[in-house]
Amino acid sequence: MENLNRGGFTFDLCKRNDLIEKTGLKMKGFLKTGTTIVGVVYKDGVVLGADTRATEGPIVADKNCEKIHYIADNIYCCGAGTAADTENTTNLISSKLKLHQLATGKQPRVITALTMLKQMLFKYQGHVSAALILGGVDVIGGVVTPSLFTIHPHGSTDQLPYVTMGSGSLAAMAIFEAFYKKDMTKLEAMTLVADAIKSGIFNDLGSGSNVDVTVISQEGVEIHRGYEKPNERKYRSNPYNFKKGTAPVLSTSTLEPLGSRIIIEDVTMEG
Amino acid sequence: MMCEEAMIDRDDYAKRVRKERKNRIMIEINFDKISSSIDSNHEEDITRDLKYLSTTHFELPPNSKPGEFLDQVWDHPNAPKPIEMAHGTTTLAFVFNGGVIVAVDSKSTQGSYVASRTVKKVIEITPNLLGTMAGGAADCSFWERELGRRCRLYELRNKELISVAAASKILANIVYSYKGYGLSMGTMITGWDKTGPCLYYVDNDGTRLKGQRFSVGSGSTYAYGVLDSGYKPDLTDQEAQELGRRAVYHATHRDAMSGGFINVYHVKETGWVKISSDDCFKLYQKYYNVKPINDNNNNA
Amino acid sequence: MAYNGGAVIVMTGKNCVAIATDLRFGIQHQTVSNNHPKVYRINDKCFIGISGLVTDAQTLYQKLVFRHNLYKLREERDMTPQVLSNLVGNMLYEKRFGPYFTEPVICGLDTQDKPFISGMDLIGASVYTEDFLLVGTMTPAMYGLCETLYKKDMNEDELFETVSQCMLSSIERDAMSGWGAEVTIITPAKTYKKKLLARQD
Repeated sequence: MENLNRGGFTFDLCKRNDLIEKTGLKMKGFLKTGTTIVGVVYKDGVVLGADTRATEGPIVADKNCEKIHYIADNIYCCGAGTAADTENTTNLISSKLKLHQLATGKQPRVITALTMLKQMLFKYQGHVSAALILGGVDVIGGVVTPSLFTIHPHGSTDQLPYVTMGSGSLAAMAIFEAFYKKDMTKLEAMTLVADAIKSGIFNDLGSGSNVDVTVISQEGVEIHRGYEKPNERKYRSNPYNFKKGTAPVLSTSTLEPLGSRIIIEDVTMEG
Repeated sequence: MMCEEAMIDRDDYAKRVRKERKNRIMIEINFDKISSSIDSNHEEDITRDLKYLSTTHFELPPNSKPGEFLDQVWDHPNAPKPIEMAHGTTTLAFVFNGGVIVAVDSKSTQGSYVASRTVKKVIEITPNLLGTMAGGAADCSFWERELGRRCRLYELRNKELISVAAASKILANIVYSYKGYGLSMGTMITGWDKTGPCLYYVDNDGTRLKGQRFSVGSGSTYAYGVLDSGYKPDLTDQEAQELGRRAVYHATHRDAMSGGFINVYHVKETGWVKISSDDCFKLYQKYYNVKPINDNNNNA
Repeated sequence: MAYNGGAVIVMTGKNCVAIATDLRFGIQHQTVSNNHPKVYRINDKCFIGISGLVTDAQTLYQKLVFRHNLYKLREERDMTPQVLSNLVGNMLYEKRFGPYFTEPVICGLDTQDKPFISGMDLIGASVYTEDFLLVGTMTPAMYGLCETLYKKDMNEDELFETVSQCMLSSIERDAMSGWGAEVTIITPAKTYKKKLLARQD
């Protein structure tokens, strides 16, 4: 039973999978967030932005995924790279930070989240492929300090007033380099972030769909899911309607409710 | 004004150039030469044909073994993916007292993608000769077309039909001359000649075998199972045709790369006849009496 | 993973969800069985479709049933599809560096009988959508088809016809799946399963 809740990675299938792959069978690719993610510091806080495309090889697997993850009430984190890694890494640190908060009784600081994240990513030597932008606001002794970091998959970090990451980072950075200025208002910062993300959406094949924006300031957090939707899909005006009975049916069977029984059954190959 | 003038000049120029080109073509076609080549005698023809056999007809990489050379090219990590050729197939042919039955499937796959369900895998070489297609579709259709040309020439020169043995040997010699170059074909050549119904298996290694029953392709093992259990030399025409159809049908069921339609040909003394072309789906519903329970209006 | 082949589609309608599966079980090019649905029932209103390597799909399913039984003993209720989705996601991510070769899709009705569907890759990166999801060996062909045929708020009959067309048409172009298909429709009142007539080649 302890085994179930032990946590951490297990490696018991690694050897088998190596053998399988040696026979020439290819493993399917992981879900990736090709991604443009950005962050910028403004007068009163931090604005984070992200596109919403997730890809699996050449296929757009999710047209409207969430890439701005919750870490704490005053800290959010954008993730790029392997979707499972960014999701689970930010979740894990969020939980750890919550425990830390309950233990200390104080609002967690951005630098604490940063340290936890970089220590975890460094431990895994880049194998956990999460490229993150961490943004948040600390209030220490009445002084409000917005802070913004990037964290690379190997665990290195940067602190900058405006940052971009992911495959669309160059396109987004071009916008920042051209139009960033100090002490912007909230609206100015949000517009700049949206423009940078749109630059990624339109010029980078790995990024696409909508713009998500999250603003973190002392007043709280504003989450704008679908802040801009420059790629809304148009549907055909007369949809395909199939007459009842189009699909050839061989048999119909009703599945009786199982109630609260516990299923114990063997998986058997029929036929 | 300037603009219009320029337009007129350009039109004139184009007219002039076209006229000149036309004159040049007229001069280059020398009809005397053509008629003289038709007069050349028989023996010269045969010797020239033999020479033709030993010459290569394709642009080849500057390498003594182009097949290996290409393998090396594809092996390179940055190399583009080679085009996957149609590989999955079930083809079979067998000799019985009433002639030869040829039955084939019609599915063409690229990897796991079904490119077509209506491929013609029986190649009608001449009105008396049939070939089948397995392996590279292009290789089979190109060389069996070439074989048809040579058989027709043989017929015109010798005033009699070519024997199946000779025809299959021409094909075997061609593929043998390209051995190691990467041709991919597994084919059966059938026909009815002076010796009676005849069946040969020819593949890209240069193998040429005479036999009573052959099956080629990824579904061949399944087809052999049905064919061998149901075969006897004194089948009636109808029984034989159904045996061929059944053998391919069951192969298409088990083999993911075979399917589509089943084409059945019967080679008789008078030449080949196409017997049937049945959709496997329809055959499935017929053989097992499967019907939808709803008043289904599309697939009835 | 194109070792065993297979295709699963889940699609939502108005207060109902459908999950369609093909029936082929093959070993590479050889078809071994044509009665092997890839959809498993977890409880009354929650199903999971697992495509990929069949040995891993079965292992994963057995582990899921075990975890679901424990959950029921402790909580005295069934898992909602949301909970199941998180459970599967965590189970898969635990094997991040030596994954099961499976791609699951989860569908069902939640406690308010609202449709829920989710899917994930082989290491548990979840995808939540409101329309449809698909996994299997022929995803590139299937996506375009579902995008075209799907419409919002279908009733259970429309949903059945649409999801059936998507499944039947996509297995037409995939050599590794097909050999029959099965559609399960989950509505608040009842759950039923329909077998479809399909090609056997």
